[in-house]
Amino acid sequence: MVSGMILPEKGITMANKKSIKEHLAGAVGLLITLAAAFIIVLILVFLLSKDPLRTISYFFSGPFRNKFYFGNMINASIPLIFTGLGISLAFKSSMFNLGGEGQVYSGGLAATAVCLALPLANPFLGSIFALIAAFAAGGIIAGLSGVFKMAWDTDELITSFLISSALILIVDFIITGPMDDPTNNLLATSPIPLQYRFLKIYPPSKLDISLFFALFFAAGVYFFMNRTHWGYEMRMCGLNREFARYGGINVGKFMVIPMILSGGLHGLGGGFAILGTYDMCLKGFSGGMGWNGIAVALIAKNNPLAVIPAALFFAYLEAGAKAAMLHSDVTFEIAAIVQSVIFYLVTAQALYGLVSSKKRKAL
Amino acid sequence: MNPYLSMRGITKVYKDMEVPANSNVDFEVKTGEIHALIGENGAGKTTLMKILYGLELPEAGDIYIKDQEVKIHSPLEANRLGIGMVHQHFKLIGDFTVAENIVLGIEPKKNLFFVNREEAIKKVAEVIEKHNFHIDPSTKVSKLTVGQMQQVEIIKMLYRNVDLLVLDEPTSVLTEQEIQRLFETLRYLLTLGKTIIIITHKLNEVMEIASRVSVMRKGVMVATRNIKEVDKKELARLMIGKSVLFQINKEIVACGEPVVELKDVTLYQRGRQTPLLQDLNFSVHSCEILGLAGVGGNGLGELEDILSGLRKISKGKIYHNEENVTNLGAEALRNRGFAYVPADRLNRGSSLTTTVKENLIVSNHHSFLSRGVIKRKMVQDFVDTLQKGFSIDGDPDKPIGTLSGGNIQKVILARELAGKTDFIIFSEPTWGLDIASSQFVYEKILEIRKQGVAVLLISSNLDELLSLADRIIVLYKGRIVANRINDDTLDNEGVGEYMLGLRDDFARKGDNHGE
Repeated sequence: MVSGMILPEKGITMANKKSIKEHLAGAVGLLITLAAAFIIVLILVFLLSKDPLRTISYFFSGPFRNKFYFGNMINASIPLIFTGLGISLAFKSSMFNLGGEGQVYSGGLAATAVCLALPLANPFLGSIFALIAAFAAGGIIAGLSGVFKMAWDTDELITSFLISSALILIVDFIITGPMDDPTNNLLATSPIPLQYRFLKIYPPSKLDISLFFALFFAAGVYFFMNRTHWGYEMRMCGLNREFARYGGINVGKFMVIPMILSGGLHGLGGGFAILGTYDMCLKGFSGGMGWNGIAVALIAKNNPLAVIPAALFFAYLEAGAKAAMLHSDVTFEIAAIVQSVIFYLVTAQALYGLVSSKKRKAL
Repeated sequence: MNPYLSMRGITKVYKDMEVPANSNVDFEVKTGEIHALIGENGAGKTTLMKILYGLELPEAGDIYIKDQEVKIHSPLEANRLGIGMVHQHFKLIGDFTVAENIVLGIEPKKNLFFVNREEAIKKVAEVIEKHNFHIDPSTKVSKLTVGQMQQVEIIKMLYRNVDLLVLDEPTSVLTEQEIQRLFETLRYLLTLGKTIIIITHKLNEVMEIASRVSVMRKGVMVATRNIKEVDKKELARLMIGKSVLFQINKEIVACGEPVVELKDVTLYQRGRQTPLLQDLNFSVHSCEILGLAGVGGNGLGELEDILSGLRKISKGKIYHNEENVTNLGAEALRNRGFAYVPADRLNRGSSLTTTVKENLIVSNHHSFLSRGVIKRKMVQDFVDTLQKGFSIDGDPDKPIGTLSGGNIQKVILARELAGKTDFIIFSEPTWGLDIASSQFVYEKILEIRKQGVAVLLISSNLDELLSLADRIIVLYKGRIVANRINDDTLDNEGVGEYMLGLRDDFARKGDNHGE
């Protein structure tokens, strides 16, 4: 940027100055938001807790107090990385996938079903099959909304949400009905065979090797969007569909492909959660992963690499709330309120950036 | 009688446009007249009216209403001064009722916060009744016809008690019967003592409804006349103006084979009785610049969309090198060697928030691929070459929106001329550009013509067409009314007469369209 400022062309220098200013404004804005959130949290905790100092301390430092909490916090960010990537990929292509919840859930069920169907297979091949099934389940579900949009111009925002809502109930039924294992006294399927369960890397926490896959996929999606043929065409469709069509890009195709990939990433999030964390498909295990993915993508401003810290931040808030709940007198509801206050403010900030850049585009 | 409205010395320069949109314009309207403001597309009529309505601020000039100097910063202020405007594209909310739309912004209130719906409907119904309109104030606007929506806009202005009503191209979206009904309404408004300005480029309507007419050309007010003292030919001459010859060295090149051929191309639109394009037959030959002229709304834009593969035709055939390419998409046409510099260069021709580099490769990014990955080194070399060849001023890694208008157009030209092409469409290639950039564009067009490319040049700038084109086709109401070699027998006025529907080489017997 500094080199830009000494270039002789006036226009470039000005553009650069502006972007530095904008970046600064963005960073300052985020800091102010965080400070405001912190103050509101303090007020809430002082009002609601009999031992506010203890609550605050656990809320913010709880996730770092021992290996168990810390590892579980990182582990909780893994599905959020997948769903956040799925959402940012769709958003970058100007497609809106609101069906994340159902896609994660179905992906988890598909992975479980494959594992249970192949009790004796090679662990490597078996888990690959399970993950492919998870990807396919999520991809097909979301892809449908893309196909509908291409064929009948239906709003993918609504269809993806509706399809997903219906699917959640169907998956619930399958888990508690045909695939229920009455021996484990849980609303869950049978546990998957031992050879499929991923290696834990940070005992006693549940953190497992899925983390590396999540990081790999984040880098992969980044490369895909920014360097490849399809990524370029998807971004052009996302930035200006009229321009993309004019340039000879098949815009109909890129209503379907981003949805398939987005749904597939959601499905993978579910699949990895089963193989790495849950070992069986529990009723409602994925609740919130889809919605939170949208929030993560918003904070990351749809940048696949920024999805990683955004997901960690989200997981940190969740772990802090849990720790505060366990170690002080706040109830689950209060912890959830505190968590959502922080979250609302941060998302509002991210959303504001998104909206104002859209406005600028419109002008 | 003193004028009701007087605008003096109005000057307005838009950013990125070197030619002022309004240059020292004087404009006067008398109380109780219908005053037509006419001119070609881009002559500055709409800009002048936007200034009057507070939508644009002029760089210089004063506005007087009944000899009082006024400053108008917003439409609300304009309303307060008794000025109302009906825009070409209606400003109505489809999901609101007629009454809600009419009271929007000045709603009758109930308890400070709530809109008093009953009161709104009652008041609007009174206005509707008083002026003999036939619209139910509780209907949703989305259920109305276009003509009725326009009536709602007029009622909205009556509700606001305006004295001066400006209508921007009010007839462009209406059917013949609706136009007659609109004119009845306008005559009725005159009896109420209202003053009306009507912006148009349809000369028949000017002659029918207006009492005086002002003509603008290229941002300058060229004449104001009483309607009784002029005829259509005179007005056409005033609108089009005398030819300004460009400095163009055009070599004579022998015309080659037809490259693109249209056979009976027809385009219907749902809900419209007359076709947008009707039985177009022509071909563009290699080494030929075919100029296409016409006033906006007569089918030029549709033809541009069709030949670039962005819109499908209803009937007819299109051939490229004698192969049928009817209704192929943009990608297929580009692969066959079609290139296209669109009129809408800020939305279609470029993606403003995307980098110059990525804008440059949209149509040929396939050629930089290696196993599905775009080779950045190759792109960089390509971009460097084009940037030098077309002297594009700007950073290729910055969004194209940071460039000037002329440089954006250079990026588009560079991209479209980079590939192997044998047919290229230029639509308004020099619109808004300064003389140097325009000259650059002309040189490029002539250069590729010499190389044997078939060129279709769509332009509202007649000087440009007459200087560049080998042949000129004029569209009027979706039909070809002239297809002539561009020689000494053709001049601005001649083409202007075709464009305004005063002449038609292909008129069928008993078909007196245009009247």
